[in-house]
Amino acid sequence: MTHLHDLVAELRERTAAARQGGTPTARERHVARGKLLPRDRVDQLLDPGSPFLEIAPLAAYEMYGGEVPSAGIVTGIGRVSGRECVIVANDATVKGGTYYPLTVKKHLRAQTIALQNRLPCVYLVDSGGAFLPMQDEVFPDREHFGRIFYHQAQMSAQGIAQIAAVMGSCTAGGAYVPAMSDETVIVRDQGTIFLGGPPLVKAATGEVVTAEELGGGEVHARTSGVVDHLAEDDAHALQIVRSIVDTLERPSAPAYEQREVLEPREDPAGLYDVVPDDPRVPYDVREVISRIVDDSRLHEFKPLYGETLVCGFAHIWGYPVAILANNGILFSESAVKGAHFIELANQRGIPLVFLQNITGFMVGKEYENRGIAKDGAKLVTAVASSVVPKFTVVIGGSYGAGNYGMCGRAYDPRFLWMWPNARISVMGGDQAASVLATVRRDGIEAKGGTWSAEEEEAFRAPIRAQYEEQGSAYYSTARLWDDGIIDPADTRRVLGLGLQAAVNAPIPPTPQFGVFRL
Amino acid sequence: MSFSSVLVANRGEIARRIIRACREAGLRSIAVYSDADAEAPFVHEADHAVRLGPTPAAESYLSIPAILAAARASGAEAIHPGYGFLSERAAFARAVTDAGLIFIGPSADVIEAMGRKDRAREIAERAGVPVTPRQDPDAIPADAYPVLVKAAAGGGGKGMHIVRSPEQLGDALATARREAAAAFGDDTLLVERYVEAGRHVEVQVFGDTHGNVVHLYERDCSAQRRHQKVVEEAPAPGLDPAVRQAILDASVALCREVGYVGAGTVEFLVAGQDAYFLEMNTRLQVEHPVTEEVTGVDLVQWQLAVAAGESLPLRQDDISCQGHAIEARIYAEDPYAGFLPQAGRIEHLAWPAWEARVEAAIDGPGTVGTAYDPMLAKIIVSGADRSDAIDALVDALDETAVLGLTTNTGFVRRLVDSEPFRGEHVHTGWLDDPAASAEVLSAPQVPDAGWEFAAALLAPMDDGSPFGRLDGWRSAAGGRPLLVPVAGPSGKVRPVSPAADTADVVGVRIGPRVLAAVEGHSWEFHAPDGVRRAHAALAGAAEVTAPMPGAVVTVEVSEGDRVVEGQRLGTVEAMKMELTLAAPHDGVVTHVAVEPGQQVAIGQLLIHVEPSDEADSDS
Repeated sequence: MTHLHDLVAELRERTAAARQGGTPTARERHVARGKLLPRDRVDQLLDPGSPFLEIAPLAAYEMYGGEVPSAGIVTGIGRVSGRECVIVANDATVKGGTYYPLTVKKHLRAQTIALQNRLPCVYLVDSGGAFLPMQDEVFPDREHFGRIFYHQAQMSAQGIAQIAAVMGSCTAGGAYVPAMSDETVIVRDQGTIFLGGPPLVKAATGEVVTAEELGGGEVHARTSGVVDHLAEDDAHALQIVRSIVDTLERPSAPAYEQREVLEPREDPAGLYDVVPDDPRVPYDVREVISRIVDDSRLHEFKPLYGETLVCGFAHIWGYPVAILANNGILFSESAVKGAHFIELANQRGIPLVFLQNITGFMVGKEYENRGIAKDGAKLVTAVASSVVPKFTVVIGGSYGAGNYGMCGRAYDPRFLWMWPNARISVMGGDQAASVLATVRRDGIEAKGGTWSAEEEEAFRAPIRAQYEEQGSAYYSTARLWDDGIIDPADTRRVLGLGLQAAVNAPIPPTPQFGVFRL
Repeated sequence: MSFSSVLVANRGEIARRIIRACREAGLRSIAVYSDADAEAPFVHEADHAVRLGPTPAAESYLSIPAILAAARASGAEAIHPGYGFLSERAAFARAVTDAGLIFIGPSADVIEAMGRKDRAREIAERAGVPVTPRQDPDAIPADAYPVLVKAAAGGGGKGMHIVRSPEQLGDALATARREAAAAFGDDTLLVERYVEAGRHVEVQVFGDTHGNVVHLYERDCSAQRRHQKVVEEAPAPGLDPAVRQAILDASVALCREVGYVGAGTVEFLVAGQDAYFLEMNTRLQVEHPVTEEVTGVDLVQWQLAVAAGESLPLRQDDISCQGHAIEARIYAEDPYAGFLPQAGRIEHLAWPAWEARVEAAIDGPGTVGTAYDPMLAKIIVSGADRSDAIDALVDALDETAVLGLTTNTGFVRRLVDSEPFRGEHVHTGWLDDPAASAEVLSAPQVPDAGWEFAAALLAPMDDGSPFGRLDGWRSAAGGRPLLVPVAGPSGKVRPVSPAADTADVVGVRIGPRVLAAVEGHSWEFHAPDGVRRAHAALAGAAEVTAPMPGAVVTVEVSEGDRVVEGQRLGTVEAMKMELTLAAPHDGVVTHVAVEPGQQVAIGQLLIHVEPSDEADSDS
C-alpha cells in the first residue's frame, strides 16, 4: 500500500464523518419529527441511482470547534428529472441550519457554479437564518448573506430556474430564499416562513401567535401566496420539486459535443502507485493523464518543446479537453507553450483541464534576465482571458505564481479539486522559513547583533509548522479554496461530471486576450 | 356416409382443435362466428368462415337456424358441435340430420335420453350402474341432508346446489329453478343424496355404428369450484383397481344399453369403495386431451372416422393407459374475488414452450369479453407418473403469462403444487370449503420477484453520460445502490432494487405500466406519480354498482325503502353466477337506476342507498 492509499482511506473516513451531519441526538430529534436528513432529501430528489457531485463536503473541517460539519449545508450537482441542477440543502441537525461565515461562502459558491454553468437551483430550506454570534462575518459585506438573494435575482433574470422547498424553518433573511424563488413548495405542519418569528412578534407588537398561524404551509399556500405548492411531507415535497424541474425548458445546443465514451486502457486505480510517496521524487505526469482520459489517448502538442509542461488534446467521458499538466518546474518555453496551447483551445472551443503539480517558475539570474517574468505573464494572461470552461485538479504542489499560471482559484475555473496529497501555499515551508530567516538575520546583523544557529532554528520551526498546517488539502477545503478533496481514482469521474455540468452553458466567442508582453 | 367438409358449430380453443383435426384428415373446415369473434384465430384458421349473427349466443352459437343457414351457404356436409352451446341439444342433432347433414355425435334420441338426468339415471339403473339415492324434493327426511339439488335437464354445474339443512332448501330450490329455467328452458329439479368428500371420476367411452364400444380409461376431475372443473387428470389417482374396473365396465355397459355412437363420457362420484353414476355427457369433453395424452388416441379423429361410418380404429385390448397427464384450465376470472369473470384487454400473452400442449382460444394480445365462457386455454402436460406430471405443469404455468387481464393461472399453479393436491386429498367440495382451501384461495402477497422485475423495467437507462451512470456515485464513499420507486398493485410505493436477471419472470413494460407474471400470477406495477397523493375516497360509498358486466335479474327494493346493512337489494347474473347486491349500510333507498332484465356495465350505478343518519337529517 502506498502513502496515497493511506491518504485516501483517511479522506473517506473524514468525509463519512462529516456526512453524518449533526450530533446523534440532533439527528434523532430531526428524524423523529418525520423529517428526512439533508443527504436523504438529496438522494430522494435525485434521479434514482444517479451520481451526486457534492461540493466541499469537508467545508469548515476542524473549524468552529469542529461543530459545523460540511459547514451545515449540503451543496452539489445532481440530476433531477433528467436535468443537472445545483442543490443547496440546509442541515438543520447542525446548529439548527444557521449560517456561519463558511455556510454563506458555501451557499454562494454553489450559486456561482449554477450561474457559470447555467444550472437550475433547488434550495431545500431548513435553517434558522444567520448565526447571530458571528453576524459581523455573515451579514454586511459584499460576499455575505445578502449576496444569496442578489444571486437569485440575477439568475432568475437570466432564466436560470430558482426553486425552493421549505422543509423547516425559514426565518428572517432566510424567508427571502423561497420568496425570491420562481416556484416554491412547503411541507404542511413543518415548513414555516416568516420575517419575524413568534418571539420577535410578541416583543415587537405584543401579538401572540403560533408559528403555524404566522407562516405555516396552509397560510402560505392558501392565504399569502408565498408558496405555490403544499406538500404532505418531505418525500412529497421532493416529488413536487422533481415535477417542477420536469417542466423546465431543456438547455439549447450543448457547448461542446460528447462522442462515444471509451474507458482508459490504464486502470485509474493505478494512480495510487503512479504517485511516489515522497513528493520530491519526480514522475511522468503522462502516467496520470493516461489514467484519466478516454482510451488513455493524448494528442500531445509540442512534445519536444518546453517539456516541463505537458499539453495535449484528449477526451474525458467523450467530452473534448485540452490538458495542461506540470511535468517539472516552469521555464520560459513551457510558459509560452502553455499560452499558445490555451489560445488553441479557445479557438476550438475546447474546455481546459489543468493538472497542477508545480513548485513555481524557474528563478535565477539567467532566467530572470531572459524574461521569465514576461513569459509567465503570458501564461497567466492566457489563463485569465480564456472563455472556455476551465477545470483544475491539484495533484501535487500548488505554489506561488505556478498556482496562477495553472489556473488557481483566483482564475475562476468552473471547478477546482484537490487530491489528498496536494499542498497549497505561496511557497514551501522551508523556503518561507529560509526567506524570513535571511531577512531576520540581515536585520540583526545590520544592527551588529549575532544570531545563533539554535536561535535561527527556533525561529524557523514555527514557520515551517505554520506552512505545514496551512498547506494541507484539508486546510484548503475547510476554507472553500477548492470544491473538495477527491480520491485520485475518481479524477476521471469528477472531471466528467464537471464537463457535463459545464456543457449546459454556451461558450462565448473567442476572447480578446490581454496584451501579451512579447 | 363419407363427407369432405365439416362446419364447426363452436368457437375458441375447441373450434381450433377441430379445425386442426379436419386439416389433418384432409377435410375442408368451415368456421362460424358471431360479431364478437370476427377477428378470432379460429375464424382465420378455418378454410372458410361464415358469420352467424350478433354477439349474444342466442343469436349466434345457439341459433340452430343460423347455423344451418351457414352450413347451406358454405356447402358443409357435416357439423361438429364441439362442447357446450348446442352440443347436447337433441333438437340440434335432429335438425342437422333432417337437413341431410351428418351430425358428429350420437343420435338425437340418445342425446335426449342421456341429456336428462332423470332418464339417464333410469338407463344407468337398467344397465346395472350404481346410482345415488334419490329424494322427493317435497319430502326430504331430516336425516337425508346434505342433499344436492340439480336441474334435471342440465349438465355442467348450472343449477347445482348443496343443501345442508332443511331451512336452506327453499332458497336453493328457488335459485336452482330460476337458473335451470334460464339455462335449459326447463325448471325440473332433482334432489339426491350429497356424497361428502367424493371424487369426480369419469370414463371416456367411444362407440361406432357397427356396434363396437370401448372405453379409454378414466379421468379425475375432482378439483372443482362450484362444480366447475379446474384441473383434470388421467388416470384417476388413488383409485381402487376394483372400483376402476367396475366403472369402466359399467360405462361400456351403459353405452351398449343405449347403442351409443361417438365420443361420450360417463361421470361418477367415487367415495372409497363406492361409485355412483352422476350423468353421461354425450359429446367431447373439455378435458379430453388428458385421455389423448395417456392413450395416444386422437379423439377428434375418431369422432370424424365414426361419423364417416368407419369402425373404431382400435379394439379394447389395443388401448392402454401410459403415464400420467394433467390439464389446467386457464380462465379469465379472479379466484381471490369469488371467481368473478374478468373482461378486458390482454396486453401480452405467453403460453408455455413445447413441453406443454396448449389448446388456446388466443395466442396474442386481444380483448376478452364476457359474452361467452371465460376459458382462455387449456394447458396439458404429461409425465411418467403423477408427480412428474405435476412438476411439469408447475413449470408450464410458471412460463404462462396472461398480462393485463386477471386470470386463474397463479391460483391453478398454487393448487396443483399444494400439499392436498399432490397428496391426492382433493375432493369435489374441497375448493368450496374455505377452511380447507385457504392455502390456495387466499390472495397471495405481491412477490419480491415481481417488484424487482418491475424495478428493472422501470429503472432509468444509463445514457452514457457521467450524470447518467446508475451507480449512485458519491465522492470518497461507496455508491448509493439504485432503488427504483415502484407502485405496486395496491398503489403502495416502494423503493426497489432492480432484478439483475429478469429471465424468471415473463412481463412487459407498457409506458409507465409493468405487467409481470410470477408463478402464473399476473401483477401490475407502475411508475409512481409522486406528486399525486391518494385522497380518501369520498364518493361511491352510498352507491351500489354492478360488480361485473351482466344482466339485472331481480330488483327487490323500491325508492324510499328503508334497508339494513347487508340486506339483499337485488341480483345480477353474469356468466354462470348470480351475484347478490347487498346494502352497503343501514339507510334509505333514494334511487333505483335499473330494472330486471336490463344489461349493465361494470361499475354502473344500480341503486343508491343514503346512509341512515344523513337520510334522517334530510327528513
